[in-house]
Amino acid sequence: MPHAKEAELFNNDEAKVNWHDQALWFVRNKRDKAAHTVKGWEELRNLASAIKANVLSNLDDYLIQFEENAQKNGIHIHWAADAEAHNKIIHDILLKNNVKMVVKSKSMLTEECHLNPYLEAHGIEVIDTDLGERIVQLAKEPPSHIVLPAIHKTKEEVDVLFQKHLGTIPSNGDPQYLTNEARKHLRDKFLKADAAITGVNFAIAETGGFVVCTNEGNADMGVHLAKVHIASMGIEKIIPQEKHLGVFLRLLARSATGQPITTYSSHFNKPTEGKEMHIIIVDNGRTEQLGREHFRSSLNCIRCGACMNTCPIYRRSGGHSYKATIPGPIGSILSPGMDLKKHGSLPFASTLCGSCSDVCPVKINIHEQLYQWRQIITKDVKQPIVKKTVLKIAGRVLANSKLYGFFGKSARFMLKHLPKSVINSQTNTWGKARDLPKVENENFEDWYKKRKS
Amino acid sequence: MSRASILNAIKKNKPESVPLPEIDLSLFQEDIDLVDIFSKNLESVGGRIVSSNTIEDLDGEIKKRYPNAKHIVSCSNTSQLATISISNETQPHSLESIDLAIIDAQLGVAENGAVWISENNFIVRALPFIANDLVLILSKNAICLHMHDAYNLISKRDRTFGLFLSGPSKTADIEQCLVIGAQGAMSVTVFIV
Repeated sequence: MPHAKEAELFNNDEAKVNWHDQALWFVRNKRDKAAHTVKGWEELRNLASAIKANVLSNLDDYLIQFEENAQKNGIHIHWAADAEAHNKIIHDILLKNNVKMVVKSKSMLTEECHLNPYLEAHGIEVIDTDLGERIVQLAKEPPSHIVLPAIHKTKEEVDVLFQKHLGTIPSNGDPQYLTNEARKHLRDKFLKADAAITGVNFAIAETGGFVVCTNEGNADMGVHLAKVHIASMGIEKIIPQEKHLGVFLRLLARSATGQPITTYSSHFNKPTEGKEMHIIIVDNGRTEQLGREHFRSSLNCIRCGACMNTCPIYRRSGGHSYKATIPGPIGSILSPGMDLKKHGSLPFASTLCGSCSDVCPVKINIHEQLYQWRQIITKDVKQPIVKKTVLKIAGRVLANSKLYGFFGKSARFMLKHLPKSVINSQTNTWGKARDLPKVENENFEDWYKKRKS
Repeated sequence: MSRASILNAIKKNKPESVPLPEIDLSLFQEDIDLVDIFSKNLESVGGRIVSSNTIEDLDGEIKKRYPNAKHIVSCSNTSQLATISISNETQPHSLESIDLAIIDAQLGVAENGAVWISENNFIVRALPFIANDLVLILSKNAICLHMHDAYNLISKRDRTFGLFLSGPSKTADIEQCLVIGAQGAMSVTVFIV
């Protein structure tokens, strides 16, 4: 189903849409406040963007350097060309260690690879330990936001879910109570898990180390208790030197939630004695995206989610409407590269207002790339006949000033004189759920001419 | 093999080399009261501050704030409150019921209220996460302006495991309501000495 249809479903519950819209806008405002308190914020963004550009242009060298340094420190490095290889490597490690239950902290890459169903099909229990991810896991849903996975759920829904799965008592959705119950529930899992899987926020070529950021402490609770730590990273997570973390950690949390830094920014360089640490370096379409000149900078993304929080479409259509692992503006330029047909409607889920590019901490020109994808998609993917015809007519009208003047006049006439029941009828998409503006008698050209004389 | 195919694909598809930029620290220089800004930022992320002027007896001050703590681990020479001693042989699971951990922080970062602590400071990696409450002892002379300075200060360390920790564990995953105390420590108090 195209994005617009999915968005329609989300919009059936108007009160919830309004809440979703406001909640994300609130996070966007917090981001602004945090950004404005940092001296040299724009210079930080420029630096981050330039460092990432350097990374892409030397990606193979940095990955080799990273591998060498990590191995020196006793970390096992694996390479996975695609999702299947990634899942198989993890399964093999778990088998070797006789793992029955694994705890996992947030990792969009493991979502992308559909790791959970793969492991579950092989008889291994996977527990997502980020609270939001645990909520959506219990609800058997994918996350709807990369930083706020359960932002589409009301507290009452969480309450019911926890009653069913954690045996909590009804609390009308008391967040304090529910979080505390989740803490007890997850503690038990942490203590029993044989292995822990995490994502990677940044991997440092110079040192062979990597950084994992969380607010809850769930990644650390998992890895420091289990005997095996497996970290999955896309090839683009590399940064050249440790000092560059100074740039990225200043940007990440402020852009994501408006916090000055995440509660925990954990730096892993060596496994504890007697324990195993594995890193899986994953391609899964990334090298292909690297080869697309107009779209390669999408790989610079540090997964803060700022573009989602600011996007007027995302806020009013919800993350699930994108039917992609990464929703929102950044997802809409990443996903078409993975499957143009399946994700072909996503670059159209935008007003091209450019707010995503304005808040992006690594200055990806997201809205321009959305436009670029549209150019490719309209050529390569069959478009609905109505859309094609209407746009063809529009093209002709806009290219001919007389025709344009005639249509303008007719539209103004109709808007003025036709009854509301006709103007807001089914056929007029612009009239759905909104009143059309009051019309003036003259157009801009007439007004301008009159004004001059 | 995946490794060769990935590296070859990158070689084929990567853009022309772009230089690595230098970080010009003068852009981020600020003349501020480091202790004051550090304290404000830590409080804004849910942490508590006890500053040196009010401390005569550190252990007494800690006890006053955590009167019910029974199982206490101290990795700091400045506190004698430990009731349980740990070593690098200690199984992390055995720390499950630790009420309070007392740890020396190596440095503080004014811009975000974070402290840097490493395995050398807490011996068992799970300790700062699994302990119910956390006391961090930080020298007021060890607070730097921003993360650039912080990375400079820790650049010569023995790299095993370490972290920037800013306030207590928290989540807002249920309807964006901030709740302190998710999976890690329920409270963090930094004593500035």
